[in-house]
Amino acid sequence: MITLPANRLLCIALLLMVVPVAVSGAPVTRTLSTAEPGAGEAFTVSLSIEDVALGGVVETLPAGYAFAETDHPADRILVRGQKIAFAVMNDTRIAYSVRAPASGSGDITGRWEDFIGEVDGAIPASHVAVDGIETAAESGGASPVAQEAASPFAVLAAIAGILIAAGRGGRR
Amino acid sequence: MNRRCLPALVLLLLVAVQAAAAEGIPGDADGDRVLTRAEYVAAALAYMIGDNDLARADIQDAAQVYAFWDGRPREITDSTGKTVTLYRPLRRVVIFAGESLETLRSLGFDMEKVVAVDKYSHAKNTFFPECREMGNVGSIWSPDMERVLILRPDTVFLYATISTAACDDIQNRLEASSPGIRVLRFDCFKPATYPDEIRTIASIIGKEERGEEFAAFYESTMDRIRDGAAGIPDDERTRVYFEYWFDYTTVAASAGYNEKTEIAGGTNPFATGTAEYPVVDPEAILVANPEVVIKLAGQGLAVGGYAGHDIAALDAIRSDMLGRPGWSGISAVKDGRVYVIHSDILGGAQHFIGTAYLAKWFYPDRFADLDPHAIHQRYLTDFQGIDFDLASEGTFVYP
Repeated sequence: MITLPANRLLCIALLLMVVPVAVSGAPVTRTLSTAEPGAGEAFTVSLSIEDVALGGVVETLPAGYAFAETDHPADRILVRGQKIAFAVMNDTRIAYSVRAPASGSGDITGRWEDFIGEVDGAIPASHVAVDGIETAAESGGASPVAQEAASPFAVLAAIAGILIAAGRGGRR
Repeated sequence: MNRRCLPALVLLLLVAVQAAAAEGIPGDADGDRVLTRAEYVAAALAYMIGDNDLARADIQDAAQVYAFWDGRPREITDSTGKTVTLYRPLRRVVIFAGESLETLRSLGFDMEKVVAVDKYSHAKNTFFPECREMGNVGSIWSPDMERVLILRPDTVFLYATISTAACDDIQNRLEASSPGIRVLRFDCFKPATYPDEIRTIASIIGKEERGEEFAAFYESTMDRIRDGAAGIPDDERTRVYFEYWFDYTTVAASAGYNEKTEIAGGTNPFATGTAEYPVVDPEAILVANPEVVIKLAGQGLAVGGYAGHDIAALDAIRSDMLGRPGWSGISAVKDGRVYVIHSDILGGAQHFIGTAYLAKWFYPDRFADLDPHAIHQRYLTDFQGIDFDLASEGTFVYP
């Protein structure tokens, strides 16, 4: 049985291992021409890619936001619902435009894979809100920065919480 | 269902799945054995969007076939002369031949794709530290076939020209039970075939450039030795008594150690004979009066080599030889030319390092600029990629 100090050490070790990955080192990053587009306005999403010879990127747009166009070759893109898949072949940049709805906010999320390097990861989420107005159901009130690291930290926090709780329970 | 049948059924299913997975290039939609750009891109997009026709390993294999094999199956001929068609890169590899394992590492193969090795490689904790985490499938003489099949390899490496009966048996059993498993056979210890084997294996794993670099390094050493020894008249060649691990057991013409002795410019008075490792009459050694004596160390990985920095052990081996009856009259003893060399650097993939030592011992003047120690260190650092400092670790030659 793991003791409470061991639990804490494990949590610290997990945090130390994952924090750098969560904040840096991803070969694919996303920037937006604006995070607060006007109603019905198109804005540009740019993906910067480093050292992916053959791989892929899939982006998921918030509800109501629609893919408009891209400069990526037409035969290397597939759009299905809110998902846009790009085949990466030594590309260093992919840009696409998105048309905003009349209102609404949410996150653009993404995932990348390097098929040759056999590595993959998440692209930190980018928050968008029409005219900067949050819609409570989708935004949840979290800031974009917090949301970028939300996924791994949420998992870690959950693990840490469970372990600490288990450790305390054991002491009782 | 009979419970005793269940493990066998599971095993058969696993094998069947593996066999099926090995057929054809993933993503080759029209099945014409060519993965075109359009087919690859369509497969990649479908995978990314979530159409799960292909698993992650499938699309990774497709990408590698497209990138490194020009989208076509790769046909290779192994050292038995058999042509094998590869539709996918190596992903789950079992290796019974330690020299092939070492060569794969020289070529930069992802060792995480090696799922099991022979028991000898498994035991070499210093040289193959990563093997501790891999499965152990025994030896070619006593293979753990059940473990091999449970590990679901896509490729198995065996020897080509030694222990052929044992290797044939393993190959036959694999082909009978799991035709999807590719069996590749290489030696990787013979000077005559090693350069070609380096290039072939490099081609298999898509590391042709690295293969050329390593082959050039290997050939530069062996060519330097051959060139240096060329032109020495037969009657001026250094007379060498090469003693195998066991006392008074030497090597005949058919033994690999004899080949390396001759490449280094030596001549073996006991080369004639049918046995590979004949036992010689002690008197015959005195009569032959060798100019150089080479004693092989390293039996059972017990002494020296990569296992430990144990100069005293090699010194003891040498001292025992010097004290043999009548040896004080042998030229090699009188001239201080009795050397101990560890089989780690003469018997396997590293034979070029040991051969360089032989050449330098046989002809110090001709090979004054040859630096076997530096060659060895470069091999370990640049090609094997292990942190091993010859200045303070291991014992390979004495004195």
